[in-house]
Amino acid sequence: MGLFDFLKAPTPEQQQAQQDSARRQADILMNIRANRPPTSTLDRLQKARSGNLPWIATLTPAELLVVRSHGLRPISTVSATCWLHYGWSWTLGHAQGWDLALTRLKEEAKAAGANAVLDVKMRTIPLDMASSMDFTLVGTAVFVEGLPPSPDPVVATVPALEFVKLLEADVVPTGIAIGAHYEWMNDWRGATNQYWQGNTESWALSRLWETVRQQAHANLREHARSQGNGVLAHLNFSQMFEQEANETKQYLARHIVVATTVDARRGQPFHHDIKMVVDIHDGGTPLTGTAKHHQSYAANDQEGAI
Amino acid sequence: MPSDIPTHAKERLKGLRSSVHSTGVFTSDFSVNEFLLVRKAGFEPIGLCVGTCVYHVGIQYGSWNKNQELDVLSKAMYHARELAMSRMRAEAAAMGADGIVGVKLTIKRLEWDAQLLEFIAIGTGVVHGDGHKGFRAHDGGPFTSDLSGQDFWSLLHSGYRPVEMVMGSCVYHVAHRGVMSGLGTVGRNVELENFTSAMYEAREIAIERMQFEAAAAKAEGVVGVDIHEGSHGWQTHVIEFFAIGTAVLPLDEEIAPEKIADPIMVLSVND
Repeated sequence: MGLFDFLKAPTPEQQQAQQDSARRQADILMNIRANRPPTSTLDRLQKARSGNLPWIATLTPAELLVVRSHGLRPISTVSATCWLHYGWSWTLGHAQGWDLALTRLKEEAKAAGANAVLDVKMRTIPLDMASSMDFTLVGTAVFVEGLPPSPDPVVATVPALEFVKLLEADVVPTGIAIGAHYEWMNDWRGATNQYWQGNTESWALSRLWETVRQQAHANLREHARSQGNGVLAHLNFSQMFEQEANETKQYLARHIVVATTVDARRGQPFHHDIKMVVDIHDGGTPLTGTAKHHQSYAANDQEGAI
Repeated sequence: MPSDIPTHAKERLKGLRSSVHSTGVFTSDFSVNEFLLVRKAGFEPIGLCVGTCVYHVGIQYGSWNKNQELDVLSKAMYHARELAMSRMRAEAAAMGADGIVGVKLTIKRLEWDAQLLEFIAIGTGVVHGDGHKGFRAHDGGPFTSDLSGQDFWSLLHSGYRPVEMVMGSCVYHVAHRGVMSGLGTVGRNVELENFTSAMYEAREIAIERMQFEAAAAKAEGVVGVDIHEGSHGWQTHVIEFFAIGTAVLPLDEEIAPEKIADPIMVLSVND
């Protein structure tokens, strides 16, 4: 390879590669507009399902063992992305972006003839470009031996071991639900001004928070309803900002909840007995307390010293 | 055909929706293990309960060279937490919950105003699967507890039930040392007795207050107590001692010690 190679005309192989790439991108573009997997992906998934290509799984060997012992077989890694620009609302964009990515992931799983997608990870590349963000989902499509392919595969954000644990308890993790809400408050009458220097609740801000959180959680329930009958929430994100405009203080409060939806039969705990064990391995003991439940002080422990 | 997967789950994997959704959607912030254990303990989650309070902390006047409790700050921390907790509990009561498991209490400073603190209490409201009301707190409302789902299961199996999340707070000013006293200790290791005694007093006050709350809730004891030291953007000599734990009572029928299974000792060979 010479330093000035880029000045030379492309070789026939290079030309071919460029054309292939252009064709592939045109195909991807056409298919994502219809929320369908690209043709090459489709082909790969179908070959993996029929055994003409090796299966691909994000599972560890231990997870593979558990999955196989329950009659599940990996097909292929499936993924979906939606890169969204927040032209209208940052907060609600999150609900939109994940929802679209979820739809596309399900389409890939369907094309792979899967019953479920396990170990689905929610990913974002922190690029911060043009007030936009990518919403990417990656997981492993699996099928259950003896079951026909599902027209509506479930999407589980939990790893394989937890997926199997849930199945045994007759609980199916089904998808991802998002609850997002934001509100602006204009403080026309100066309700947030503190004239009295004693202890007092800032009720205007408390009320704003209560409203935003409650609405976000209501949205979460609404979004979850189409996928299951409950959620295990794994993320609560909230922010509040103050800004002054025309001598009036404005507050923006936003809240996003991201949760795994489940389809659970009520009153049906799993049948295994639970045995208490004391792990003699350092750090693995269940007796070291519940410190992670008190995050209030995690951030400022250092400041606490006198 | 895999035999371990129950029928209902298998139907769902085939892509068939069941009609169970008529019962409504529950929300929770449980992990998978917590969810399974809370259900194994005979409870069902019904909804995430949140209480918030944005609080303006008043100005505290104190003496520079005196060990003393800063009552304005202590009261502020108490009152604001109380408001957040009671709102969360009110939400749980409105849902008809018998209790709240896994309460997390967080405090944030709002960046535009040093006097504003935001308190958030969040936990999962649960109901007893068979409608047993005996798990409620002494006032008939939902019990509160900062125990995780795992801790909750263990607590019930050791013969106790949670009653109320109890806490005690004391914000304390540790006296500055005079210039002269510093000269006397040059080149020697000495105990700074006034600092030590400040720590003692503040911690004792916090524990006492927590214990008093437990007594008011008619509890037998408090489990999972943690004593934190923290500072919420106050000046260097100001510190908050905060004691928090779950007040417990024996179950209706106390379990005899010999009925409680001994834990099995294992040595994990993973890493």
